[in-house]
Amino acid sequence: MTAPADADAGLPEPVPSRVGVSRPAPLGDSLQPYLPLSTEETENLRGQHAGFASRFIAFIVDCVVSIGVFMLVLGAASFAASVLTGSSIHWSRANTWVVVAFFAWEFLYYAYFWTASGKTPGMVLLGVQVVGQDGSSVGTKRGLLRTLAFPLSFLLLGLGFLGILLGRDRRALHDVIADTAVVYCWDAREARLRSLAREGSSRQP
Amino acid sequence: MIDLVVESLDLNALIAQIDLNAVLARVDLNEVVDRMDLNEVVAHIDLDEVVARVDMNKLLARVDINQIVSRIDVETLVKNTDLGAIMVSSSSTLATEAVDQGRSHAVSMDDTLARWVSRIRRNHTGRAEPPELPNTPEEP
Repeated sequence: MTAPADADAGLPEPVPSRVGVSRPAPLGDSLQPYLPLSTEETENLRGQHAGFASRFIAFIVDCVVSIGVFMLVLGAASFAASVLTGSSIHWSRANTWVVVAFFAWEFLYYAYFWTASGKTPGMVLLGVQVVGQDGSSVGTKRGLLRTLAFPLSFLLLGLGFLGILLGRDRRALHDVIADTAVVYCWDAREARLRSLAREGSSRQP
Repeated sequence: MIDLVVESLDLNALIAQIDLNAVLARVDLNEVVDRMDLNEVVAHIDLDEVVARVDMNKLLARVDINQIVSRIDVETLVKNTDLGAIMVSSSSTLATEAVDQGRSHAVSMDDTLARWVSRIRRNHTGRAEPPELPNTPEEP
């Protein structure tokens, strides 16, 4: 992918397409490694801007983890109350305190992980990481700003996320506000070698 | 009589007149080599002594290791040797396998989405330069 128009405009030369289209394994060829990425594709993956699917799946994982932990805490609190006082607490979504506690918990969850390491548990699983736009670590200020701006991308009917799909550097609205970017941080080359090694070891007697 | 003839001959002058190139051109070297018992020739060579005379440091200094390594097909090596088994036993678990697979499929989906969007927009602007990651620890 080249962009003469961009080059003319003095913008940095865009890097070639990061990864190619997955090559389907030939039918009946069980020796194809399962990793859909080819050698060239895995070479320079680390540090490239992460795409929509990786980020979205990471977000879903984070939702499951954070909501799961929140519900566990509520359940534990209810259990403790029933043991101590003999009367159980019935939590309801209509309860203002539950809603406030939920949003506070979500804020803490994202703020802590983004400021501490730039990676939430979902992001660790998917091998993506939040960094500063210049590649530096996120830091407390940018991490907090990103967490505060995160809901804005939802509140604008999800339009805040369009930048991930349409932008050259795949940044959502909250990335632009906090001057951050999300990049791949996993070693795809090593993963590919592991895949080939497994395949080779399973073939040897 | 023969001795007298030989004594009277100037062999050096005679040899000087011979065109050795022309002589050698008429020799079938392949036939000569075929007649040689190379095993016997090699048996006479003291390889230890030959190797002892070689300055290995000087020899290795002339070898471009990087070029040799770059010519190795690491993927084939890992795939077809015990190196693969060692790597698997030392670093790979079922969880690692699942994570590798999930991540690589996610990256493929990212790219597929990017291509769709690019087609819809009919705009191949490419991607921005990735940020430098000076101190970012690498994920396994």
